[in-house]
Amino acid sequence: MSGQDYEAPSGAFSQRDDVAASSGTMIYRCGDCAVRVPLEKGAPIRCQKCGARVLYKERTRRMVQFEAR
Amino acid sequence: MAPERTNTTWEHGYHTLRREKLFRNPPTDQTAYPALQEAVNPHIEAFNALFRNDGKPSLLDHAIAEIGTKTFLDGDERADPASRNKLTVRYKSVTLQKAQVAQSNKFAKRREIFPAECRERHVSYRGKLTAVLEYRINNGDAHEFVRELGQMPIMVKSNKCHLENNSPAQLVERKEESEELGGYFVINGIEKIIRLLLMNKRNFPLAITRPSFTNRGPSYTPHGIIVRSVRPDETSQTNVLHYLNDGNVTFRFSWRKNEYLVPVMMILKALVETNDREIFESLVGPPTSKGVENTFLTDRVELLLRTYKTYNLYTKKQTRAYLGQKFRVVLGVPDTMTDYEVGTEFLRKVVLVHLGCNDVTEEQDTDKFKMLLFMCRKLYALVAGDCAVDNPDAVQNQEILLGGFLYGMILKERLEDLLSTALRGALRDHLRRNPTDSFVSESFRKQFPGHIFRKTNENIGNALEYFLSTGNLQSPSGLDLQQVSGFTVVAEKLNFLRFISHFRMVHRGSFFAQLKTTTVRKLLPESWGFLCPVHTPDGSPCGLLNHFAHKCKITTKAADVSAVPGVLLELGVNNYSSAATTESVVVMLDGKVVGWCAPQNAKPLADTLRQLKVEGGHGIPLELEIGYVPTSNGGSYPGIYMASNTSRMVRPVKYLALNKEDMVGPYEQPYMSIACVEQEIVPGDSTHVEFDPTNILSILANMTPFSDFNQSPRNMYQCQMGKQTMGTPGAALAHRTDNKMYRIQTGQTPVVRSPLHNTYGFDNFPNGFNAVVAVISYTGYDMDDAMIINKSAHERGFGHGSIYKTKKISLKDDSRTRSSKTTTKMFGFAPGSPIRASDREMLDEDGLPYVGRLVREGDIIAAWHTVSADYSGKLVNRDGITHWERYKEAEDAFIEEVRVIGSDTGNEPLQTLSIKLRVPRSPVIGDKFSSRHGQKGVCSQKWPAVDMPFSETGIQPDVIINPHAFPSRMTIGMFVESLAGKAGALHGLAQDSTPFKFSEENMAADYFGHQLMKAGYNYHGNEPMYSGITGEEFMCDIYIGVVYYQRLRHMVNDKYQVRTTGPVVPTTGQPIKGRKKGGGIRVGEMERDALLAHGTAFLLQDRLLNCSDYSKSWICRDCGSFLAVQPTVSPFIGKRKQVGTVRCRNCAQRLDQIEDLDLMKLDGEIWEDGQGVQWIGGENTTMVVVPGALKYLDVELAAMGVKLKYNVDSKDQTRRSALRPTAPKLLPSGVAAA
Repeated sequence: MSGQDYEAPSGAFSQRDDVAASSGTMIYRCGDCAVRVPLEKGAPIRCQKCGARVLYKERTRRMVQFEAR
Repeated sequence: MAPERTNTTWEHGYHTLRREKLFRNPPTDQTAYPALQEAVNPHIEAFNALFRNDGKPSLLDHAIAEIGTKTFLDGDERADPASRNKLTVRYKSVTLQKAQVAQSNKFAKRREIFPAECRERHVSYRGKLTAVLEYRINNGDAHEFVRELGQMPIMVKSNKCHLENNSPAQLVERKEESEELGGYFVINGIEKIIRLLLMNKRNFPLAITRPSFTNRGPSYTPHGIIVRSVRPDETSQTNVLHYLNDGNVTFRFSWRKNEYLVPVMMILKALVETNDREIFESLVGPPTSKGVENTFLTDRVELLLRTYKTYNLYTKKQTRAYLGQKFRVVLGVPDTMTDYEVGTEFLRKVVLVHLGCNDVTEEQDTDKFKMLLFMCRKLYALVAGDCAVDNPDAVQNQEILLGGFLYGMILKERLEDLLSTALRGALRDHLRRNPTDSFVSESFRKQFPGHIFRKTNENIGNALEYFLSTGNLQSPSGLDLQQVSGFTVVAEKLNFLRFISHFRMVHRGSFFAQLKTTTVRKLLPESWGFLCPVHTPDGSPCGLLNHFAHKCKITTKAADVSAVPGVLLELGVNNYSSAATTESVVVMLDGKVVGWCAPQNAKPLADTLRQLKVEGGHGIPLELEIGYVPTSNGGSYPGIYMASNTSRMVRPVKYLALNKEDMVGPYEQPYMSIACVEQEIVPGDSTHVEFDPTNILSILANMTPFSDFNQSPRNMYQCQMGKQTMGTPGAALAHRTDNKMYRIQTGQTPVVRSPLHNTYGFDNFPNGFNAVVAVISYTGYDMDDAMIINKSAHERGFGHGSIYKTKKISLKDDSRTRSSKTTTKMFGFAPGSPIRASDREMLDEDGLPYVGRLVREGDIIAAWHTVSADYSGKLVNRDGITHWERYKEAEDAFIEEVRVIGSDTGNEPLQTLSIKLRVPRSPVIGDKFSSRHGQKGVCSQKWPAVDMPFSETGIQPDVIINPHAFPSRMTIGMFVESLAGKAGALHGLAQDSTPFKFSEENMAADYFGHQLMKAGYNYHGNEPMYSGITGEEFMCDIYIGVVYYQRLRHMVNDKYQVRTTGPVVPTTGQPIKGRKKGGGIRVGEMERDALLAHGTAFLLQDRLLNCSDYSKSWICRDCGSFLAVQPTVSPFIGKRKQVGTVRCRNCAQRLDQIEDLDLMKLDGEIWEDGQGVQWIGGENTTMVVVPGALKYLDVELAAMGVKLKYNVDSKDQTRRSALRPTAPKLLPSGVAAA
């Protein structure tokens, strides 16, 4: 886990994420209509807008840094 | 002005802007690479033929007609059939829906399911299969009912797929490749294709001599005539005529995997109302003909007729009734049928089914009769030696079994099975359970369509999915095929060349793979233009697994030949036939004897027919194959054999008389004169000329530049290596979830390529990179096909690639049986469970990994916990334990995508996860590379740029290869490519590398040499170079140029295997096998021999003992046994393990068994075993090192009652105390008493 200890400086984004995290809601991306889908823990997996059955996890907002070697 | 249609013509140039535009704005009208689609089309068209939507009868309609109506009777089995109630059932239609979301899913806005979703969700792409059935009771009113037959897998881009006729723009929108080809099925997220198989040519009587024919019984000879007769629904029934020693002929067929033999005379007499004279004259010829002079024939025909007399069957009616009586049980017909009807049914189902298998008319029976007579005639000619054996291994006598047709055959058989076997069982079951019920009762009528029918195993879709996912055929009839497994393969998208090759691949059948003889594997001249001579793997599938030449097409629709018989009649075909081929030869169309003509008229007839067919407009289709076999002395049986049916290979050649394209088939080709190039046309002989000599090569073989300069095996190797290259599998990588995908980061278009490279759009899928290659022995690290990479080139990304791996994590029980629907596990941390910060840190709140994170071996990639429903139905975790899914591989990887997969119904919580990992793979020492000329090599060193040789213009090579790679391999094509590449790079040209373009007069070296000269370089491609180490000029000039290099997927990181110690097999203590498990590589007998011969005993001991089953073991010096020794147990210490003394139980004496025990007289220590028994003696034990396997052997032998005694040399005995004579043995008890 080298280089991953870094947490992004708290901006508007991470604040919202924190709120989301506290209520157990995560945001996913719909595979069909690319809409952001908030899902609670244990909620059925589908896009609320189009009913798509494949959602993608968004790329982490934590800084990802590796040694370039 | 309407926008211009997308241009589809290409030549060899780079077309950078044109391609860029195609990429940015995928065309909305048509693909720019139609050739690519053409290559796959046979697969799709064959599938489309199953369910046609153009109004014409589809294969399935034919199949349903052939299945016909099934009859069932109720009541007592022994009762008179007429007194029982009759139930008849038949299929009215069978339809397949496109893939759609289940009705129960109310959330989905878009109801279609696209293939991309199936790949992503790891499910199958399938649609609902529905059958409309109809039943009658006692010839009453027909009642219709509908049954759903499960979900049937659909071929991508077929007429049941949403992607049919989609433009590239639409395909991209639907998450496909812009040039998506289709032709495969998506089964559990994996792309599967049905292999093409070579079969015997249909409806054509093949003359065969096979020694195994004699096994059929006494007096059977090796001679036979085989007809693979194919019904309109593409199912086949093979009929064989056997010749018997005495001149008799028997008819053989297989029915439900059993063989049956019938005298051919019986079938002839059953087919039509005939007499012996008619049969005699039809076989021999009219009394005035020359055929009568053939006493060999007349003798045998006479015998044939005479021996049949014993049956006493004279009329058609008698014969059919006799046949019906014999085959009633075999065919499984209802009891209501009379024997005569069963006989008719037998002829319909078994005898020459291509001439009529449904509502057979008298005319069709006559056709069958004539055809059977012709077959007998050919058989007698074969026996007499007037006719040569047909080679079933030559493409001439073969056709293709298309996947779609095979799929249809299985579907038909399943449908038939459902209606006969399964329904009969369900009905019997029902009647047994409700003895008061009969077919006429009201309760039966109510229950039949629903309740009773459901008892049959009606999920046909599942059976088809099983077939596709395993490739195993489960069939009661065997479908007239020679194999039961290996019908499907995974269409691996390793790179695009491999993917496209799967669709052009044709296999001879796995039956032939076991054959010891190599005759089936031989490359025969008949294959010219149909199968590629270069593109076959070497090794076990060599010659069995072939690839189509790139211009070879496969017919998937039967051409309309209704006008042909009329034209033939006009051209002088008549009914006069004789056994003498000097008098008349047969004219046959699709296995039907149309008539006869005089042999001298046959050639003009065939020529005229060809002229008419190429000209067009005479009702003779261009695809019609006109196989004119000339009269010869003991050659193939003469005649004109025409074919218009499906599954034939055809290829375009130019017809010289009209200067137009003609389609030529493999049967006619050997008798035609087709010039290879314009110069070879022989006036008066050649009728055709090839459009291009490269038409004989497969798509892949065409990609080898200047392949005509290479030694032929090198081109074969390139065809293999092209398919193993780490290339670009596609552009829609983000929507794919293949288990393993390779990708090269720095793909380039080759400087040297043929126009076909553009025609097939291979620039969309780059497969390698242009490298500056110097041929020089420089570093000493270049021996034995090693190559040196310039370290700076490597640092700039030379050959950099990555591997994408997809891991599916499912919390559901993956068992086939649908277990409880309740959710028992959920992703995420168990609420309230204590989690280490380091573990917590690896995952996001939802228990899934962060996208973009680096994972190392042992890292956590997902968390889950168990749940159960509480009083209100909410799922709660009770145990508070969080379980982990870990990343198990040794290599570092990055989380590329995390896919959260929902259920079909859209109302299940997260149960399935698909994680795509990316493993970066920069080239390392030991990775494999190759040029396009079968010149593979392993990277042996990354040489620093400063030490690389450089040319006068300051160019350093990217790759150095050893000159020794060339003399023995003779890959001159690589030299020419190097030259052409260099000139092309200097002038900014794409070089055309089509083979057969240069000649002795017009040399390639000269052409490119002059280009080099114009650029100011040496004509020969050599350059003076300077050592990077000393700076001195080399003594000789170095050959340096630009060659396209491929990085192969074999990489050391997947292969290295080292160990000193590690996991062992418990029984022997020797290392386990297998790289994955950390096992060892066997030092076998030959390796042992080598070490022995070298005298390296220490090394030998290290390999065979120390690193293997080294084990220390106690042994008794006295009795020499491993098995009798045991540790002593001290009575005081308890169970604690101690390094105790070891004694031999065998040599010791039990204290309680010594008579007159006197402890004072005993010498030595008393010891105790595990049971607390006291012993004395057995002290003379020692520890030795032996292989574990030796001890194992000892135990095994002991189990058989064989004792091994090891003599332990006393010289190395350890001294226990001061030197003294050995302890006196315990006195024998008798002596002690005295």
